[in-house]
Amino acid sequence: MTLTATRPAARAGRRQPAPPPRRGGTWARYALLAVMALLTLGPFIAMLIVALSPRGKPTVPARWPESLTFDNIAQVLNASGFGQWTLNSLIYSAVSVVIILLTSSMAGYAFAKKRFPGRDTILWTFLATMMVPFQAMLIPLYVLVSDFGGADTFWGLIVPTLANSQAVFLMRQFILGLPDELFDAAKVDGASELRVYWTIVVPLTKPILATLGVFVFLWHWNDFLWPLVISQSDATRTLTVGLTVLKTEELQWSTLMSSAAVSAVPCLLVFFLLQRYLVNSIAMTGLK
Amino acid sequence: MRLRDPITGLLFVLPMLVLFLIFRIFPTLGVAGMSLTNWNIGGDWNFVGADNYARLVNDANFWSSLRVTLVYTAIYVPLVVLVSLGSALLLNSVVFMRGLFRGILFLPYVTSFVFAGIIWRWIYEFDGLINGVLAKADVAPVAFMERSELVLPALAVVSCWKGFGYSMLILLAGLKAIPGSYLEAARVDGASAWQRLRSITLPLLKPALFFVLVIETISSFQVFDTIYVMTGGGPAKASYTLIYGIFERGFRFWEFGYAATWGMVLFAVVLVVSLIQRRFVGKENT
Repeated sequence: MTLTATRPAARAGRRQPAPPPRRGGTWARYALLAVMALLTLGPFIAMLIVALSPRGKPTVPARWPESLTFDNIAQVLNASGFGQWTLNSLIYSAVSVVIILLTSSMAGYAFAKKRFPGRDTILWTFLATMMVPFQAMLIPLYVLVSDFGGADTFWGLIVPTLANSQAVFLMRQFILGLPDELFDAAKVDGASELRVYWTIVVPLTKPILATLGVFVFLWHWNDFLWPLVISQSDATRTLTVGLTVLKTEELQWSTLMSSAAVSAVPCLLVFFLLQRYLVNSIAMTGLK
Repeated sequence: MRLRDPITGLLFVLPMLVLFLIFRIFPTLGVAGMSLTNWNIGGDWNFVGADNYARLVNDANFWSSLRVTLVYTAIYVPLVVLVSLGSALLLNSVVFMRGLFRGILFLPYVTSFVFAGIIWRWIYEFDGLINGVLAKADVAPVAFMERSELVLPALAVVSCWKGFGYSMLILLAGLKAIPGSYLEAARVDGASAWQRLRSITLPLLKPALFFVLVIETISSFQVFDTIYVMTGGGPAKASYTLIYGIFERGFRFWEFGYAATWGMVLFAVVLVVSLIQRRFVGKENT
């Protein structure tokens, strides 16, 4: 979740087409790519086969099962904990997306376009915290949050993960590129600061907000260590933590694989709908 | 009008600033302080000076975890850099269906490490996918998760599968920025594909490669989820990393003070790597 390095500046200049490959090598390249694609997709396919195999029957690997069934998936969806975990993951991710987009775009705007005492010091401090791995501060953070009664609560789960320097920097960089005249003109017209933020900053940063939103969603949906230590019952347990609980209790691989498959559905949906944006924004900004 | 800017600027930064002060800065300072105490689950603590550090130096588990972490890094980083560089070069050399292949190779990146851990745990099972395939070739099954010498490479493969798409995209962007005319000129001059790769592509790709190297090194220090799901640090602590030590000291034995001491070591290791990177990247840019 943390990015601890700065990405080298993208090279300027127009992209030129790569030279056309020579005939002979083309087939070899596609063959290699096909092998890579198969190795990448293999685990997904294996997961689906096991998830859809009849329960109780030994899952024979590397052989197609005699029949496929949705019973395991249905059973998982009806299991008591699973729905709650899914709901918790949704709350964790959705609330975080909304608050991080709001707070980081506000902070990014101030860092980019306002002069105030201590601005550079604060910005530098935010940057410095990127160098501290989350796991190193895990213990004091846990003690702090649980001392204030945050263990096994939603605020304890969500609030500590909202301090996100990557989001602030991304917003700052983007807003730096917006022309100052826009903001000056609005001020001359007598617009209030909140109005400037809401009617100029937010609409103009929509593309980057959308990208950031997708990433924050994925980070939180897939997050594990913090939810693992802070949630102690099904009331606040997220899906990733729930899956590990299930893994210690459940001995049927068909059930486990079904749960894993269902847990990844939102990520895969995001992937299929927004793949182009994800790919481009990683290439452009190094967002991780 | 003059005063408006400073006040609103501060107000706009305030929510994030408060979050950072409480949940990032304070715990960062706190970990150093806690490592000097015997803080435990009851919340009682006494200042014990450097006792925890003395204990750490004599803790065989700690040295073993450091060794495991470094071995894992030594396996994972070359693996993931080679795989992502290879895929980026391949993708960059084709036109037809490039987007499709890029999408497929990137797909695991959007899933969670827990998800990857569960699937791969089955793939590595004694009666799992790999052994099923091996059985067809009449090879005796291999217990990947129960053999000390195999568990780290096996975990590195899982992290690589799940994460190489990111580095691949960074390298692909770097490759696209290399002007085609350079490679064309070299080809006209009779340079072989290998010479073009070695003397033109790789040197020009250096900033992106370096970035990937650092990012992946740091992420290899932080591997936890797959270990928690797949091995629990075993067999016989063969996959018991620094982070796993922090977790176990903190949340199994509830020795917060001592766990914080382990955290300080992780902090130091990551800091050194980040500083080295900053130095090098600084040089590249000037």
